[in-house]
Amino acid sequence: MKHQTKLSQEQQQQQHAAEQQTQSPSAREFASAEEMLRYDAAHTTVPPAIAQRLQKSIGQTGAPPRSWWRNLFGL
Amino acid sequence: MEQPLEDMAPPGFAEAYRTHSRSIYYLALRFLSDPQKAEDATHDVFLKAFRKLEQFRGEASLRTWLYRIAINHCRNRQQAWHDRHVFPNTDDAILENAVAETDSPLRVLEIKELGQQIQRALDALPAEYRLLLLLVADEQLSYEQIGALTEQSPDAVRGKLHRARKAFTVLFKKNA
Repeated sequence: MKHQTKLSQEQQQQQHAAEQQTQSPSAREFASAEEMLRYDAAHTTVPPAIAQRLQKSIGQTGAPPRSWWRNLFGL
Repeated sequence: MEQPLEDMAPPGFAEAYRTHSRSIYYLALRFLSDPQKAEDATHDVFLKAFRKLEQFRGEASLRTWLYRIAINHCRNRQQAWHDRHVFPNTDDAILENAVAETDSPLRVLEIKELGQQIQRALDALPAEYRLLLLLVADEQLSYEQIGALTEQSPDAVRGKLHRARKAFTVLFKKNA
């Protein structure tokens, strides 16, 4: 009887674990804070509005000396 | 797909923006804890870089130079905010007692809540720890470069990072 009860408990635990996996498909473990932050950063989208604002601001500023661009980017 | 910078700025600048904007935006977002401030900061950082290009001597990488501008900008913004608000002290007891379970995995049940949980934990950290964690999360930065950006030795960076990781883990689990 005790054996049956223990067996039943193990089966219940296995079933519970299986259910948890099914119910939380997005669950994830990270080994470190850095790993978590890298994942977060990789899933962060830069708002497109920033590039549009930059375009406008640069248009008002004017282009930098062309020689600089040649030096930095080999243009 | 629209690429507005391509037509306006020299090709190198548009490429630099594409390569580095995510890292700069993420640093600003998690450091300032405000998407609108992060958007403003990212715009200001790249505009400042554009205007001061002649000051870039190539002694550091472009990425490191942009980080330096971003860190100064974010610190100034944060200081201005602190000057106008009463800010509660970090719970030192949490950081002092951050010794247990720090090597155990950080489990996140729902990925969609990850960003909010990270932000809560980072917000509770001292600004120096927050910045170090955000910089070390960039795999392209060495301890030497992080030390140069934060004006301390690589050994000091390693020591503080050890404490920052432990404190973050405790705070993350507490806020989860």
